[in-house]
Amino acid sequence: MAQVVLKDLVKTYGSVYAAKDVSLTVNDGEFVALVGPSGCGKTTTLNLVAGLIPITSGDIVIGDRIVNDLDPKDRDIAMVFQNYALYPQKTVFQNLAFPLMMRKLPKDEIDRKVREAAKVLDITHLLERKPRELSGGQQQRVALGRALVRDPAVFLMDEPLSNLDAKLRVQMRSEIKRFHQDLNATIIYVTHDQLEAVTMADKMAVMNGGLLQQYDTPANVFANPVNMFVASFVGSPAMSLVPLELSSSNGQSALTSAEGWSLPLSERNARKVAGASSNKVVLGARHSTINLHKTQMPGTVPARVYTVEPTGDITFVQAFLAGAIVNISLPPSVVVAPDEQVWLEFDQDRIHLFDGQTEMALRAD
Amino acid sequence: MTSETVNSAEPVRVARRRGIDGWRWAGRIFLTLLVGFTIMPMFWMVITSLKTGFAAMQYPPQWWPASPTLDNYWRLLDPNGSVGRDFLRYFWNSMFVSVATTVLAVLVAVPAAYAFSRFRFPGRNFLFFAILLRNMFPAVVFLVPLFILMRVLGLVNTHGSLILTYLTFGLPLAIWLLKGFYDNIPIQLEQAARIDGATRFQAFFHIVMPLSTPGIIATSIYSFIGAWNEYIYAYTFLTRHDQMTLPVGIQRFFSENATDWPGLMAATFLMSVPVVVLFLVLQKYFVRALTEGAVKH
Repeated sequence: MAQVVLKDLVKTYGSVYAAKDVSLTVNDGEFVALVGPSGCGKTTTLNLVAGLIPITSGDIVIGDRIVNDLDPKDRDIAMVFQNYALYPQKTVFQNLAFPLMMRKLPKDEIDRKVREAAKVLDITHLLERKPRELSGGQQQRVALGRALVRDPAVFLMDEPLSNLDAKLRVQMRSEIKRFHQDLNATIIYVTHDQLEAVTMADKMAVMNGGLLQQYDTPANVFANPVNMFVASFVGSPAMSLVPLELSSSNGQSALTSAEGWSLPLSERNARKVAGASSNKVVLGARHSTINLHKTQMPGTVPARVYTVEPTGDITFVQAFLAGAIVNISLPPSVVVAPDEQVWLEFDQDRIHLFDGQTEMALRAD
Repeated sequence: MTSETVNSAEPVRVARRRGIDGWRWAGRIFLTLLVGFTIMPMFWMVITSLKTGFAAMQYPPQWWPASPTLDNYWRLLDPNGSVGRDFLRYFWNSMFVSVATTVLAVLVAVPAAYAFSRFRFPGRNFLFFAILLRNMFPAVVFLVPLFILMRVLGLVNTHGSLILTYLTFGLPLAIWLLKGFYDNIPIQLEQAARIDGATRFQAFFHIVMPLSTPGIIATSIYSFIGAWNEYIYAYTFLTRHDQMTLPVGIQRFFSENATDWPGLMAATFLMSVPVVVLFLVLQKYFVRALTEGAVKH
């Protein structure tokens, strides 16, 4: 296994940046998820690491080698594709043997390694079948097997679970996580599903528009998103973002809405908004940190219920607040109806504040 | 009140509509006639080839020869007789020209189609259009220019002139056909192979080419039949008897005084044998959808 370093990686198509100045370090044995919406540059970045497309500028270091100009076959990587890319005319055994055959290993060693990998993934009984005779989950396992049979420096995975049905996806998610732990493998994993990234990865790299937005542990990304994009992308339901205006009277800072109400800020939050570039400030809050009241209380703001979604153990409520939709979670014992007038209470220690102009998170220091 | 009325009503069973059977029968009759129309000449060819020269000219015609004979075939296949010697020579010439054309067409079309499918290079669209441009003109338009060209190159009265010409006509469609096959093979298969340790060429050779077998076979059959049946260029470019291909050669059965119909039909039948055999042997490859199950879409 090996460390992977991306230094100022750039990929352009004409004047369009598919990846722009992407820099990050994947430590030996680390599981890193590249996550972002479609077209954010995550798959481009993975293909650059794989060598499937040439880089425009920057450096890719795998282990102790700069691999910029190396062919994919010489980078000591393995890749699992979204559509598995199993060789349809070959049996499972031949699929697993192909990477070893290409490296001209002796026949008995190929046989031994293939059977070993098949055993790890519990696909020994499928070795003589063709890919089209396998279920989606089995194909997925064969694809993993073809990657691990060679003992590469890095595993690259491009949305390996997105073709599976929901139930199988959850199962394979834990299998891949287990696979990572058992092999202590270095893995770069591309997904558009933030939940996969949060649940599986040691670190997540959130990308948007070809730019790396934030690279940190899932817990840190969740707790301290650097900007509004990351805040709204990570977490489900998404963090609610309410655009408000900053006002201050008698030295007390508050956020006011066009509707007329105002929310006084704590001393720490007041220090945060002092750094805002204008009086436009966006209030962010996760569903679990908002309290819903049926009557007006001190420090609450008025909202109107839009939809109610009971899920069994939690009821999700969407409410209109100052023209924006706010997600709130409630115990099922609290019953609210659409269009009902409610009052929301924000936890001053757990709200997020963003600069309305730059969309960056406002910090206290 | 109205809703009650509706609820209490029995659901109405809707019968399948009848009356389209008339159209179905019309279709069957039409198709039967069409099949008869197609098969009749072939039937007549076989029947006539089994007749004696006298029986072939009888009126009303015999639908089944009174005394069928294989003499016409023996005459054609006898390497010691004058007719057999020529016929077998023409057959061999046709085979050589057609096989050479086919092999060369595949050798050129495979890499060309792959390049058009996978690479983005300047002039790609223009070139792809340009190769199809040939097919927009009737073949005979090129007869005189190509003859002049062949004369300059000293290729008149050689099989090379025909092979070159047939390639010119066959390649555009071959490339077009194969490109379609390569377009349908997911690029991820090659990428996987290249990551698994293959060079670009190895990935093509080990993974992509086996998957395009049906396309290569379809291309081969197309090229072979085109070359095998071609008449006008073979007639123009070749004047020496020992060079002639079958379509030109079997004209010898038409003579000034009389036409040997049974002999001509036997020769025609023998000429169609390789094409039919080729089709029967290779047709399963057309049907087989090799890429099925390769990737999930």
